[in-house]
Amino acid sequence: MAKIKKKGQSGQAKNYITRTQAVKKLQISLPDFRKLCIWKGIYPREPRSRKKVSKSATASTTFYYTKDIQYLQHEPLLQKFREQKVLEKKISRALGRGDVGDAARLERNAGRPDQTGKPRYTLHHVIRERYPTFIDAIRDLDDCLSMLFLFANLPSTTAVPAKMIARCERLCHEFQHYLITSHSLRKSFLSIKGIYYQANIQGEDVLWLVPYKFNQRVVGDIDFRIMGTFVEFYMTLLGFVNYRLYSSIGLKYPPKFDQTKDEKGAELAALTLEGVNLATNEETTKAITNGEGHGPDPKVQAEVDKLVKKLRTETNGDKVDEEMAEGEDEDEEKATDAIDKFEPAAPGGDVLPQPTYSGNDPSKLFANCTFFLSRETPRQSLEFILRAFGCKRIGWDSILGEGSFTTDESDPSITHQIVDRPIIQAATTEEGDGEDNQTAQKLGPNQRYPGRIYVQPQWVWDCVNDEELKSPELYAPGAALPPHLSPFVKPMQGQYDPTIPLEEQQTEGEALEAEIEDAKVEAESEEEDSEVENDMDVADDNDDDEEEDSDAEEEKEDEEDEDEDEDEEVLQRQRELEAEISGKAVKSKQVDPKLKAKLDKKKELERKKKEEAEDLERAKGMLSKKKRKLFEQMQYTNKKKSTEDMKLRSKRRRLEKEKAAGKA
Amino acid sequence: MPVLKAPAGNTNAPSQYKQPSRKGKKAWRKNVDVTDVTKGLDELNTQIIKGGIIAEKDSADLFVLDVKGDASITKKFPKIKKGLKSDEILAARSAVPAVPMRKRPAHDKTTDGVLPAKRQRKDYVSGKELSRLKKVADGQHDSTIDIVDAAFDPWADQPQPEPEKAVELAFLPQKEKPKKPKTLEQQSISLSANGKPIPAVYVPKGGASYNPDFTEYRERLIEESEKAVEAEKKRLAELEAERIKLEAAVRSAAEAEAAEARADLSEWEDDSAWEGFESAGEELSVKAKRPRRKTQAERNRIKRRKEEERRLKHEAAMKAKNAQAERIKQIALEVAEKERQLALEKAEFSDAEEVGDDEKLRRKQFGRYRLPEKDLELVLPDELQDSLRLLKPEGNLLKDRYRSMLVRGKMEARRKIPFKRLAKTKITEKWTYKDFQLA
Repeated sequence: MAKIKKKGQSGQAKNYITRTQAVKKLQISLPDFRKLCIWKGIYPREPRSRKKVSKSATASTTFYYTKDIQYLQHEPLLQKFREQKVLEKKISRALGRGDVGDAARLERNAGRPDQTGKPRYTLHHVIRERYPTFIDAIRDLDDCLSMLFLFANLPSTTAVPAKMIARCERLCHEFQHYLITSHSLRKSFLSIKGIYYQANIQGEDVLWLVPYKFNQRVVGDIDFRIMGTFVEFYMTLLGFVNYRLYSSIGLKYPPKFDQTKDEKGAELAALTLEGVNLATNEETTKAITNGEGHGPDPKVQAEVDKLVKKLRTETNGDKVDEEMAEGEDEDEEKATDAIDKFEPAAPGGDVLPQPTYSGNDPSKLFANCTFFLSRETPRQSLEFILRAFGCKRIGWDSILGEGSFTTDESDPSITHQIVDRPIIQAATTEEGDGEDNQTAQKLGPNQRYPGRIYVQPQWVWDCVNDEELKSPELYAPGAALPPHLSPFVKPMQGQYDPTIPLEEQQTEGEALEAEIEDAKVEAESEEEDSEVENDMDVADDNDDDEEEDSDAEEEKEDEEDEDEDEDEEVLQRQRELEAEISGKAVKSKQVDPKLKAKLDKKKELERKKKEEAEDLERAKGMLSKKKRKLFEQMQYTNKKKSTEDMKLRSKRRRLEKEKAAGKA
Repeated sequence: MPVLKAPAGNTNAPSQYKQPSRKGKKAWRKNVDVTDVTKGLDELNTQIIKGGIIAEKDSADLFVLDVKGDASITKKFPKIKKGLKSDEILAARSAVPAVPMRKRPAHDKTTDGVLPAKRQRKDYVSGKELSRLKKVADGQHDSTIDIVDAAFDPWADQPQPEPEKAVELAFLPQKEKPKKPKTLEQQSISLSANGKPIPAVYVPKGGASYNPDFTEYRERLIEESEKAVEAEKKRLAELEAERIKLEAAVRSAAEAEAAEARADLSEWEDDSAWEGFESAGEELSVKAKRPRRKTQAERNRIKRRKEEERRLKHEAAMKAKNAQAERIKQIALEVAEKERQLALEKAEFSDAEEVGDDEKLRRKQFGRYRLPEKDLELVLPDELQDSLRLLKPEGNLLKDRYRSMLVRGKMEARRKIPFKRLAKTKITEKWTYKDFQLA
């Protein structure tokens, strides 16, 4: 006889433990248990049968793995919770006795474990335990970043202390600095919820969501104690991640933090990055330079440069050489700039369009631009994105805080200005004159500084997502913006994409059909004026070879269908012979040969399609029933989607045609 | 005011006159004889009261060398009459000054004009601090762990510390570290209906753009509005069901009332029947069957009938069997259809989406409370702006993050309880003032 199993000694009854049991086993309070579970990554589980685990279990009972809880018993943090409990007891006893001073002393001493010789409790060991490798940590960074960026933007309340918010903010800025220096930001998207960012860190895509500024309502039905626990954990995590990332690019962590600048709203500029030279252990400072750098005074440098230039021109007396020298200077400035520049051959010549950098190097996208942000634009996100994509000089209105390249809107070095205000209609008529622009310090409404590009903020996002500088006309202030598409949605094969031209995405059949339509229309118009000529054409064409028949526009179409055409030819010839015998004219079908060819082609295409469908049907017969059903379902959805796309494409075709007609 | 009484009994320490042995109860502290010590102490006290300890006084204070008698003394001090002992006791004054009752000595009122330095009260605790301490004692401290700047890389290869154990202790087994259970590695249980893991941050669809493409936006709008219509329909149906239920209840109540009323009316009419007064002329006529043998004809008839019955039964059974056989085919078809449907659904779920949907949640959730509903994140067509400045952000990220945690199964849903439930107090009147008796 098999050994008799006792109830409750093995299986589910042993593997799971209810929450109450766990709390009793660990001898801590329920809130502490919750904290510990969040930090250690112990989640509620679901047994297959609740009744088998415990008879008294109801639907709302929460279970945990017994092994998890057993492991928790070795946790050093548990001691911390117990110590805290002891402290609470001591304080409440002192307060009960009226020894307020004693209570205060007890509390104070507990707050500085380093001086009282007690151990400090941190989450350092938990980080290593939960994320055995750095890549694991990066994979979990989505949640961490979203949470910390959200808390960095919250107003401080009793539930969310200001200290925590400040720390979150700092960690986020440190992380942003890493993204800026390593140029690892890839995409960004303005959604109605907030701004999505995607970065590529060591080959892993990290996506997070940042709220818009000053938008966070703190609603009541959120447990801030739990959120705070998560934030505490994530702050520790991001600290370590930042440390690792900084040291990976040779920077010192933590970067120098300027309190006064931060209080003035400098945000990113409040941090100064310091490099660590591993060989000599020398430290080199590298702040957000705003172009000028920490070296010599820019004015003095400019004077010196001018002098040097003068000297050179004096010695050489040649203009070409001067240009050469300038070029060299530039080369020295940015050694990695490899792309040639088109320079005007003669002084005062047209400004030639410079070659833009291809999308491969995101660090150079805005490298040659100087931006100025008007006061209605979201500075934080714009600054971050622009810097991450290579922009060195960004100025903004002084209202937007400290740390700008310039607060002077009239600075001549500005190449792009980002504005987001409507054009006032009345003002244009009053002072549309651009003459006094140079003299006036403040510009009136709608007035522009000449020589710079005015764009709406969306331009920056679209440039970044498409990895090229988009044409600014579409994004001019007051213009109806093109839709802001999500960069994360990858277009499916054959799906309609409004951004690429129609010719590239339409299917063969569609193209043919469209051409047939065109040809029919043409033929109708032609038929009206010259029928005889048409006939002649037909005769000629039929005598001719295939190649002439095919049009230039049909070149891309394959020529597999030769045999079929030969058959047709034979038929045609026979018909001609018959006509010769009978002495009648060739009875052509009054059809334009081009059109006919196309029709043939269409027929061919359809035939091919049919064949393919038959093949598919045959193949389907080989599949198992389950797989067949699956396949059918897939086909159904695909078909639905493709018809929708077809509709969209045809709509676009019509619109384009109308546009073309309007132009002609 | 109570009358003060001297405590009854001996005030002295309990004593034993002699102490022959140090064993037993008699040797207890309270039983030790200390009378000589107390006597000495009392004497000391009386000496102090009378003006100082005699043993410590200088002999000059105590003694005067009287060499010649003084004649005037008898004049100065007339012969003292011996007064009453009680007067003497009352008149006795102690040489030790009384303990002052004032907080500050009275003679300190004059100053030299220089203010004394203010004492620093080191142990002063402000009211704010006190209330905070009270909260801490109640378990509401903001943080238990320290968050310090990261100063090392936890993922760097850490050198294993060499076990510094003396050679002679090498036989001792190494202390084993607790092993991480495999269950700890398991992902949390996603609460989405299809059971797929839910990402921390959903990849945003094009319809969520602040300046969306028209087709995408329309798609989303239609989807959302369908959902809203569905919800509204559900709500209306619920209302309707409620109304019907109420109406039915009202109707049945009315009917019951009417029936009762009718019963009341007919009470007197039915009484006679109830009480057994039946109309006369009715007789009990029972025809008793006489026992007799069945004739052959009768037997044949019965036999024929039974045969017929059997045949009919058999036919019915055969018919049912045939019908069932027919039905088997149908059932098989139905089952096949159902299976196909299921497979299709499964296929759709398994193939279409790789991530879980956080709107369609599974029925079974963690904890007592249902998960909060997802906010509707949609800009209505009339609010749609193509300027970033005019954008009115939708949804609440805080709620969104919180819900994401719940939906990913990181913890069980909780609800904020704004007020702690207090113990119910019952107010009663005390009757003690009535507890008296009239003599």
